[in-house]
Amino acid sequence: MNENEPSTGTSTRIRHVEAISSGTVVDHIPASATLKVAQLLTGSDDQVFVGMNLRSARSGRKGVVKIAGRELDQRTLSCLALIAPGATVSIIRDYGVAQKVTVPVPERFEGVAKCANPNCVTVHERWTTRFTVVGTDPLIVRCIYCERSFAAAELSLL
Amino acid sequence: MDLRGRHVISIADFGREEILHILRTAEAMESGKAGEPLSGRIMATLFFEPSTRTRLSFEAAMLKLGGRVMGFSDPGSSSAKKGESLADTIRMVERYADVIVIRHPRDGSARLAAEVSRVPVLNGGDGSNQHPTQTFLDLYTISRLFPQLIAGEGLTVAFAGDLRYGRTVHSLISALCHFGGRIITVAPRGLELPPQYIAEANHHGITVEAVPTLNDAIAACDVLYMTRLQEERFPDALEFDHIKATYRVTAAMLASARPHMRILHPLPRVNEIAADVDATAHAHYFTQAANGIPVRQAILGLVLGAVP
Repeated sequence: MNENEPSTGTSTRIRHVEAISSGTVVDHIPASATLKVAQLLTGSDDQVFVGMNLRSARSGRKGVVKIAGRELDQRTLSCLALIAPGATVSIIRDYGVAQKVTVPVPERFEGVAKCANPNCVTVHERWTTRFTVVGTDPLIVRCIYCERSFAAAELSLL
Repeated sequence: MDLRGRHVISIADFGREEILHILRTAEAMESGKAGEPLSGRIMATLFFEPSTRTRLSFEAAMLKLGGRVMGFSDPGSSSAKKGESLADTIRMVERYADVIVIRHPRDGSARLAAEVSRVPVLNGGDGSNQHPTQTFLDLYTISRLFPQLIAGEGLTVAFAGDLRYGRTVHSLISALCHFGGRIITVAPRGLELPPQYIAEANHHGITVEAVPTLNDAIAACDVLYMTRLQEERFPDALEFDHIKATYRVTAAMLASARPHMRILHPLPRVNEIAADVDATAHAHYFTQAANGIPVRQAILGLVLGAVP
């Protein structure tokens, strides 16, 4: 199967975002989170392609981010689960999809996001942040320190 | 039931049976037959912000059980002032003491301390988050007044004042979820009980009813739990003056109360309970404060493994 526009499943769709020979495609990103995902994946010398407000049968509008020549590590996947729950990750090798998964939501997020409570001890001390998932649709997480709950969208990545 | 080595950070960490065990132990402590099982043990009190009742009652509890106390009550005299991290302070103190009591202005600080410490950490209040030993003493006070609480028959507990930010209210509601009953709330606009606590209570079969006036609550409850209104919560000083006059219990208002109704308050009170209430049979807040000692004796004895 070729790595076409990942959400279509048809070979006749026009590709909106440059194809990559190897790397990772993050698809079905909630439209509002696309730039956050791009920012997360940028930061090396790898080429990153971004498609915003693409039409999606599943969610109306979505984002796609492709990163050439790199597969995502566990920490990045954890970040993705937080900022783009429901996104899919396809690993591309030789222009084909070698593996495609929906980003798994872990039971805990460790060291990936800053607590949104300005009085939380983790904001003021050098300490790893930890959140437990208390709801998945929408994603709600709870800081194990200050015990406040937040919608995932309220948190900023570290 | 073995609570040896347990940290006491959040009421949510304790199940019904554990809570009951602490209350029963507190009752045994109050009977005065505990002796001095903590002889030779040291309690460190790390008070990064001021406290009167919590620190003194922890210290009195430890002394009564034969233990010794050390610590600071002014963060200016601690190494935190020099920029030491909280984790490093705890790593040092755990080597000096058998148990640590901490009060700290940051939410979650006690949990962080517990992750670092090999000796039990007791949360004496972390920011606006938790104050579990206050909740244990509130529950103890209610259970001594109304044993039917423990029997699961349920009480009607009314909460009045700042229900949005009041940590003692939130923790006590979470604890009451183990025992059933009914909750009444009365709060100024903007300071109502957050929905998550209503949902938590409802989830445990407890109804939460918001009533418009303090008089409505007084007439309908077994326990009236008053809290202090803080001026800084109100953007308008005139509005604060008006509200604080509305949220004030006076002896005259208690004419409609059930004879057995009791008023609790975590203290300090400022304006919300008139001095003429003190002489009525309904006033119970000073007894409640005194209960801090047997409850903290129980907790110290249990986490240090000195009482079964």
